[in-house]
Order: sequence, then structure tokens, then C-alpha cells
Amino acid sequence: MPNDIWVLTEHQDGRVRKITFELLSASTQFSKKTGGEVTAVLLGNGIQETAKILIPFADKILLMEDPALTVYTSDAYLPNIVSLIQEHKPSILLGGATSTGKDLFPRLAMHLQTGYVPDCTNLSVGEDGRLTALRPLYGGKVFAEMTFSDDRPQMATVRNNTFIVSQNLNKSAQVIAVPFQADRNLLKKKVLGIEKTGGTKLDISEADIVVAAGRGIKAPENFKILEELADVLNASVGTTRAVVDEGWRDQKDQIGKSGKNISAKLYMAFGISGAIHHVLGIGTCKTVVAVDIDPNALIFNYADYGIVGDLFQIVPALTEELKKVLKE
Amino acid sequence: MEIYVLVKQVPDPEATVKVKTDSELEIENKYFTNFFDEIAIEAALRLKEKFGGKVTVLTVDNRRVDALRRGVSMGADDAVQLTDPAIEGSDPFSIAKVLAAYLKDKAFDLILTGRQAMDDDAGIIGPAVAEWLGIPHVNAIIGLEVEDPTKEVRVIREVEGGKETLTCPLPALFTCQKGLYTPRIPQVMNVMKAMKAQIKKVDLSAIGLTPNDVGSHSAKIKLNKYFPPPKRPPVRMIKDDFPENVRTLVRLLREEAKVI
Amino acid sequence: MDKVDVIIVGGGLAGLSCAYELADSGMTILVLERGDFSGSKNVTGGRLYLRPLLNYLPDIWKDAPLERHVTKEILTFMGKENSTTFELYSNRFNQEPYPSYTILRAKFDRWFADLVSEKGIFVIPQKNVDDLIRDGEKIIGVRTDGEEIGADCVVAADGILSFMAEKAGLRKPFHPQHVALGFKEVIALDSKIIEDRFRLAGNEGAAQLFLGSLTKGVMGGGFLYTNQQSLSLGIVVGIHSLNQKEPRLEVYKFLDEFKERPEIKNLVKGGEVVEYSAHLITEGGIHTMPKLYADGMLVTGDAAGLGLNMLVTVRGMEYAMVSGVLAGRTIKIAKEKNDFSASTLSHYEKLLSESFILKEMNHFKYTPMVLNNERLFNQYPQAISDLFEKVMWVDEKPKEGIYKTKIKELKRQFFNLKTFKDWWQFRKI
Repeated sequence: MPNDIWVLTEHQDGRVRKITFELLSASTQFSKKTGGEVTAVLLGNGIQETAKILIPFADKILLMEDPALTVYTSDAYLPNIVSLIQEHKPSILLGGATSTGKDLFPRLAMHLQTGYVPDCTNLSVGEDGRLTALRPLYGGKVFAEMTFSDDRPQMATVRNNTFIVSQNLNKSAQVIAVPFQADRNLLKKKVLGIEKTGGTKLDISEADIVVAAGRGIKAPENFKILEELADVLNASVGTTRAVVDEGWRDQKDQIGKSGKNISAKLYMAFGISGAIHHVLGIGTCKTVVAVDIDPNALIFNYADYGIVGDLFQIVPALTEELKKVLKE
Repeated sequence: MEIYVLVKQVPDPEATVKVKTDSELEIENKYFTNFFDEIAIEAALRLKEKFGGKVTVLTVDNRRVDALRRGVSMGADDAVQLTDPAIEGSDPFSIAKVLAAYLKDKAFDLILTGRQAMDDDAGIIGPAVAEWLGIPHVNAIIGLEVEDPTKEVRVIREVEGGKETLTCPLPALFTCQKGLYTPRIPQVMNVMKAMKAQIKKVDLSAIGLTPNDVGSHSAKIKLNKYFPPPKRPPVRMIKDDFPENVRTLVRLLREEAKVI
Repeated sequence: MDKVDVIIVGGGLAGLSCAYELADSGMTILVLERGDFSGSKNVTGGRLYLRPLLNYLPDIWKDAPLERHVTKEILTFMGKENSTTFELYSNRFNQEPYPSYTILRAKFDRWFADLVSEKGIFVIPQKNVDDLIRDGEKIIGVRTDGEEIGADCVVAADGILSFMAEKAGLRKPFHPQHVALGFKEVIALDSKIIEDRFRLAGNEGAAQLFLGSLTKGVMGGGFLYTNQQSLSLGIVVGIHSLNQKEPRLEVYKFLDEFKERPEIKNLVKGGEVVEYSAHLITEGGIHTMPKLYADGMLVTGDAAGLGLNMLVTVRGMEYAMVSGVLAGRTIKIAKEKNDFSASTLSHYEKLLSESFILKEMNHFKYTPMVLNNERLFNQYPQAISDLFEKVMWVDEKPKEGIYKTKIKELKRQFFNLKTFKDWWQFRKI
């Protein structure tokens, strides 16, 4: 339908990622202007329960179940999404700037010969249904406002925490089962397995709260005090390139230009000097706290709150204070 | 193995980039080979060292070929520059079309490139070229194991919360992420050879495209305006002594920023 | 081991000038520069005096990215709360060929490196030379990042702390006395504003030197040069003199406080600091120069200690460029004889002594000693301004006769034994 907005659902192990709820909430706001419907597209296997979670957030849920869709591969997802789009002709298709989004959307856009703007930090929709997207370039040194050609759907992937999840969308989605439409002979890739790292914590690119330490942590075992702080805040632990290059933490925890961009609500940097390649990774964090022993550390130029102090003193004290305050 | 590596020259991550006008940027003249593409070149060279064959570096650029020379100095055999005035103003999809048009009649086993370019940070080229060529692709790989290049290869990619291992048949395209390999530093003698190396220039007509296929009028996404990054208000330094400063911070985060 | 004809270590002015001289010789020349590009690690105040260079590098100046040609020379003596400025404007300075231009090294060196590359010379950035390779006493190559490359001649053009000269055993150990530290900011400012503030027309430029309280009694001075769209503002201090101060002064504060002086504040108002850099400057003079040649090696530029404090200016860049050219000429002769021994290469030193370089270094050989006098930086600049101030001050009291005022002040500040001695020393410069 000409003004419909579709959101590709990101899910794992029965849990729907927060970005999907953010996009469904935003899409609801957009659809108020354009008059279309909000549809969640859900591909997977054994996802009946997952679909139920989405019901309050969309007008329609297109549910496609098949063993070939158990884990995301572009081989399996792309032809199916293409046929759905060709049948229903949505105006806009949104997804998270996740490993799936970044893998699928460019290919999908190329296939459909339509426009796609990656990694957006803001979106807006006009009454005519035209999408305008804002995204960072050069690591966040400048931002570009992009518009789309007349081709449909207009596609965008969006960063975490760009939109707020609204719990009261007053929706009750109609769940529509759709058949698997891909040629199974063309499914070339096979996922052998996923090695989970990071325990129960969210990936730093997804977490609402991230605490990180740089070289100031002095030794890998000292990360323990950060883990304890992270536990109290239900946060994930990140780090800098210097620490990863030393071999103290894994690459997946690296925040910065050659690591990950994080869009946390709260980011706390301990013993991080604030070199440009790191701070470019935190530009879209809502609140930034910096603690460093050097009053001239560059990181303070990028923070909202700063403390000049010894992280080995501050972090445990912060953990204790938070335990007290959050109990109330 | 016949491997192509798609490379791009981008401003140094430390170069200053400023908004000059709504549609123009002022970029410090410090251009280097895109870091992630260097990783791709390294991956290609290691496969060549293992299985023999040829590595060609390929770029779409009307001005700079230093990234190609970098590839040659690291050990690539050939360098191709796709260049044509009509390409100016192309969006990533048109660039992908140009690359795919060049590659479609080549007998390649593997195409490698970086997971994104550090200028537009888009990550579109890799998957888009793969789609145009009709070959499978995997994004942001951090592991690559090839035992028999005529069969399928094993790749590891980063996903949220873990690492995913996949098999994928060749020919395929992979985009490379930090952690896959550390790019080798070219030796002086090889840099000298690369400085003198012949670079093949190919224009649109040689690959069966017309100016209508590329450029700003065929763009699917258009720039409306540039903005400088949103300015944060100046930092609020908490000046209390320890342990009051910690208490103040928690209070501010709770009551003022409302994030905990 | 792979081999080229000449390896030049360092892609600054000395190295590139040597390469330029050798460009048409048919030899394979390699310049190894440790920075990301030539100029990225080079700093000047500064200004380039062109006329000494015209005999050695006659044809590169048409397209060279030079800033403004200097027509205004300004000298400012700073007291703590006052300053006196002498300004020279000369039509003579405004006639071509202009005697000097202000320059920015990142721009100039980079352009020069491109020019040299276009002539077929291999200028390779991001390459640090770790060591020399010898065959007995003869230097036959270099090692860089583990790679060994041979050469008939290695030219040390690697700057003031020359690792190459040290490795070759040619350099004497460093004394803080021989070295000054210069640090500067490049402040972007609209060219029209620069022209208004300094009263310049078109592409004219001003060069201003400051002596006095800005260096807090440490030997040294300040400088301000007008570029096309920016100002170069900085301070030079002698390391030895700095070390003698108790308590230890924080050098980076000097520039911040200097900028707060009303004389400076109003000149740089509205400008944006776009670059901050620092560099060591060789000031030891002719006595502290290393040996300039060895079997298979020549030493040029700052690496050869070719730099001079002439009080009204600091010289280094022209010496670097000309010494590079002379090294190139020497190498051509050696190549013809196919003899790169020390005795053949010693011709380089002969060329240097016949040129203005060593002649000037000889004329000014007592400068470091004469300048090692605190009164030059504490007392005299203050005295000059105080005298002027007293002469110009009018208040409720009946003003004294001008002559009387001057004599009183001169007696107080200048007519004493110490000053006579200082004056005597000044004859040596």
C-alpha cells in the first residue's frame, strides 16, 4: 500500500531487539502524517511467540516461518523480502543498523534499484510520504541530510537510541502468515553456529548504558571493577583501541572509528584520554561522563559531566553509591 | 586464485573535515588507503601466497590512484582505475554498478573489500556489487579459512553478542573487518616499484555503461544539506572533593540527566 | 641487498634540495621521510630569505607556495607592563626579487616533495631509518623497518637530533646550551583583517620580533609573522637558560600569557588556532657542528648543525637548502670518479666554507656567548620602555625637562659597568 511503513524485525532466541520497538514507535509517528499502516516483517523459525510480542506495536505483522530462516542469511531473507515488497509495495522500509541490517539492506536496495541511507541518526517524513534521513560522515565530523529518489520503498537503517520506545501505541496487529518464497537451490550460505561472547550482557552497540576504560586501567585484571559497576547499572563494558591492541580486551568491545559506534543513553569513560578516533564513536550518546586523572584530558571536551580523579578510587565508590541509590 | 580487491582512497581519520557551505565540505588534504581495504588487500595476498594466482586492486576514482599503488606496493599484481568524468556525483549504487560492470566478465574466485569506507561510512559497495554480480556475500568478516578454493570457504563474522561461523561457496564477495588481519607495511623497494607501476585506466564505454547509468541524475539518494556535528554544551566539571564528587555525579545523573 | 645510488634520510628542506640537485643526474635517488608526508614534522617561525637561494635553486620559485613577501620589519622590546616598538617599512623590500617571504612548512615542504617526485625521485613517507649498514668503516646503506637497502652514498638530512650522524659517529654529544625550543601557533585570520591590522597592501607581509619580559628572563624571544590567511605566533627559548630557572617554568604557559598581552591580544583577535607545533632549534654555532662527511656519507641541514641565531633573525632553512644542493653537487663529482670515500666527499665541506653559510656562521660564532646574558631579556627591554614611558608621561606634577628625564633614566639603567661590558661584547656579533 502506497504509504505503508515496514520495519524489519530483529530478533534472537525469542527476544526482539529494542531497535525494532524504537522503529515501530517512530513509524507510528510517521504514519500519523502519511496515513499509512505500520507493518512489522518477521522472518525466522519457531517465532510464533516472538510475533505475539510485536502485536501492541504494529498494525500488521507479516510472519514468515521456515527452517531456512532460522538464522539470518542474505540468501534466504533477500528473495523473500523482495517478493513481499513487490506484492505489497510499501513506501518505506526501516531496519536497525545492526550486523543484519548492514549486511542485507545495501544488497536489497541494489536488487530493488531503490534508495538506501545507512546508519541514520534521525529520520523525518513529510506529508507526501517522502523520507528525509540524517547520517554521520567522516566518523561523525559532519552530518548529511539525505533525500530519496521516487523509487520505492525508501530504505534506511537506523542507530540504536535514535528514537524512543513508546509503550502506548494503541495498536493490535493482525498477524498474517506468508509463505516462504525463495528458490531453495539458490541458498548458498550455511551458518554453522554462533559462538556467544560477552556472556549475558548486551553488545556495546546495543546497550543503553556503556561503561568503558582505556589505558588508564593499567592491567586487564583491573577491568573487574568496571564489570562490577556494569552489573549495578545493567550496562555493557567497552574499551578503547589502545587496550584492544594490547590484547587486554576483545575487538568486539572496542569503541571508536575502527571499532563500534555506540548510541547509549549513558556512556561513562574512565581513564580514557579522548583521542579523536575514540570520541567519534560516542558522538550520538545522550549523556557522557568522563573521569580522568589529567585535568587537560581531551575527553572532557566531549563530556557532559567530568570528574578529575583516580578511577581506581572513583569507580568502586560509584558502584557503592549506585547500589545505595538504586535500591530506593 | 584470481582475486580482486576493491579499494578506496579516503581522508585520514585525523584529517579535519568541516562544513564549508550547505553542499560543500572542506577536507584537509591527507588521503590514505581506506584502512579496511588494506585489510582486504592483506587477506588477498595471503591467499595468493597459499594458493598462487593473481591479485588485482581496483578503484573508482577520477583523481587519486595512491590506494592502487599501495596495493601494488604490498604485493598486488595489477592495478585498475575505473575513471570517467560522467562518474562525478554518483551515489554508492552507481559506483557499485561501475565496479560490477567491469567485473562481470572476469573469471574471479573472490572479491574482497573493506567493510566500509572511512569517508561516507556507508558500507554499501560490497553487498551491492555482490548483488549486481549475483554472487553470495558476507559482511564484516573477522575470520577466513580457505582449504580448497574450488569448494566452499569458511568465514567468521561479528554479530551482536557473538561470532558467527558460516560456509560460503566461491565465487563470493567478503567485506573485511578489523581483526581479520593486520595489513603488512610495504617495503621500500616495493613502494618504488609501485610508484612506477602501470595503472590500467578503464572508462565507462569500455565496460558497456553510458553516462546515463551513473552520475547525479541516476542517483537514488541525494544530499540535501551538510550539518556540523551537534554541539554539546560545555562540560560540567564536578569540583567537589572525593567522595562528595561521586555522590554529586550520581545525583546529577538521576535528577538532571535522568539516565539512571 | 637491493641497492640504489643515493639514499637521503629525511624529506625536509635539506633532503629535498639535495634530491632536486640530483634529479637530472640519471642516478636512482631515494628519499626516506618518517612523517606522513614532507612537512608534517617540520616547523619554522617563519620566513625564508630568498636571495641567498637564487644561485643554488634558481627555478623553483615561480610556483612555490610562499605566503607574503615581507616589507615591514618590526622590533618590540617588552617590559612587564609596557613595550616599545620600532617599525621599519622600506620600499626597497617591496621590489622584486623580494628578499624574503613568510612560509608555512606543511604547505611548502609538501609542494617541494611533489615537485621532486615529479622529477622521478622516490620520496617515500612513513619510513623511519633504524640504522646504518657498514662495510668496515664505510657506510654502504641503511636499514628501515627491517629492510636493508644499499647505496653509494647516504645523506643525513634527518634534522637536529640526527640519528644518522650519531650512528656514523660524526656528531658530538648534545649540550642544552646548543639547543633552543621553539613553539608556535598558526592562527587563521581573514587576509583583509591581517592587511588592516598590519597596514599592508596586497600580498605584503610583516615580521615582528619580541624581546623582553615575555620569556621571563629566559634567553629567547617571540615572533609574529603574517601569512596569507593566518598569523604565525610563537616563542623561542634557550634550553640551558630555561633549565637554570628555579622553580622550573612551564614553557607552554609562556605562549598563553604572551597572547594575553594587550599588544598581542588585539592583533590576533577573532583568529582561530588551527595548528600548534614545536621544534628544537640548533643554536650552538660553528663550534658545535659535527663532522660533515665520512666514507659513504654526507651530513646536511639541521643534522649538520647549520643554524644560526643572528639576534634579529634565526637562520636555518636557507642553510638547509643550500647545503642540500652542495651535497648533491659533491655526489655528482663523486659519482663521476666512482669514489665515495671521505676524501672525495670532503669537497662538500670546501663548498660550504666557500658559500655564505660557513662564512656567516663564522661571523656570528660568538652570538651564543653574547646572548647568554640575562640583562638582554630582563633589564634592557624593560629599560627602553621605561625610558620612553617616563618621557611621555604627563600628570599633575610639573613635567621635568625631557633631557633631564632621559639622562636620569639612562644613568639608572645603562650608565654602569655591567652595561659597558655588555656593550663591549656586542662588538662580537
